[in-house]
Amino acid sequence: MDKKERFIAAIKENEGFIYKIAAVYTNNTEDKNDLVQEIIYQLWKSLDSFNQQSSLNTWMYRVALNVAIFQLKVSKKSISIIPIDEQITNYQEKDDSDNDERWKIFREQIDTLNLLDKGIVLLYLDNKSYEEIAAIVGITKTNVATKLSRIKEKIKTKIHKNL
Amino acid sequence: MELDDLKSTWQNEGNTATQNNLTTLMINNMTQEKYNSKIKKIRLPEIIGSSICVIAAGFIALNFNRLDTIVLQGIGVASIIILLIISVLSVLILQRLNLKIDLNKPYAETLKIFATQRLAFYKLQKVNIILCYLLLVTIIVLLPKLFGNKDITEYKYFWLSTFTTGYIVLFFLSKFVSKYYRKTLQQSEELLKELA
Repeated sequence: MDKKERFIAAIKENEGFIYKIAAVYTNNTEDKNDLVQEIIYQLWKSLDSFNQQSSLNTWMYRVALNVAIFQLKVSKKSISIIPIDEQITNYQEKDDSDNDERWKIFREQIDTLNLLDKGIVLLYLDNKSYEEIAAIVGITKTNVATKLSRIKEKIKTKIHKNL
Repeated sequence: MELDDLKSTWQNEGNTATQNNLTTLMINNMTQEKYNSKIKKIRLPEIIGSSICVIAAGFIALNFNRLDTIVLQGIGVASIIILLIISVLSVLILQRLNLKIDLNKPYAETLKIFATQRLAFYKLQKVNIILCYLLLVTIIVLLPKLFGNKDITEYKYFWLSTFTTGYIVLFFLSKFVSKYYRKTLQQSEELLKELA
């Protein structure tokens, strides 16, 4: 299996997370599609600098989150990228209204968090262990635990307030 | 509902996403250079703005002999300096925007760089607005002399209305900028405090 084939296999394995990251860090479908492409492009471009000190998955999560931040900086200028083939971005949109409602509530909660907490929560929701979160984010395991506990409390209080 | 309850929504979103089923061809296409075009497009307005400032500074310098009093010459020099500073600031802003981030760094480190850059970027923008205020004064004084060697008092109503309109536009622009940036600045500062 050559480098490109290995990369494609890794992308396919993690595409769910890439799409979810793009969905959380953007506010519309066009930006989401741009971010998915940008993450995949940057992952491919950075693949040679992957030093195997962490697992490929951990590295991919880290790059994906970093690209999302980088994209925020660029999107402030409201520049759209060159249009690409419809088939690449025209993926299945959700038409389940119940899911949409749940996603809306989810976004409301997530968007109240700062960028650091947001990254930690997304990894936690993706079932990453505290060790993995610490490795991706670059803080200690204890710090991850403390922050998660604080975030859980914050979300709980906020939801109770809204009820 | 608690954080753990949000997990099912997150997992569900993932299931929907994987149904998208990226094909080998799609991934292959996404790795091509053509997708890295955002930054190139951002450069253009900044470069145009910067060039206009340099051209305007050059124009004042070339017509400096028309400024016949010490006061006008002083204002001329001040205008050239302001225009050049605005031009340099635009380049600096552009550089900050183009600064490549090492994507292999941990997320927290990238955030620290991001927040620091954002603070610096907005401070530069603020300085740019203040300089534009000053420039409006100096340019309005110089314009009649530079275009036709006329005394400013000959067209006082024209200049008065130009001056007023310019300031009103700048006033609303700076109001918009400070309102837009205040929250972002606050968020960046808080983020840096947390990451310290």
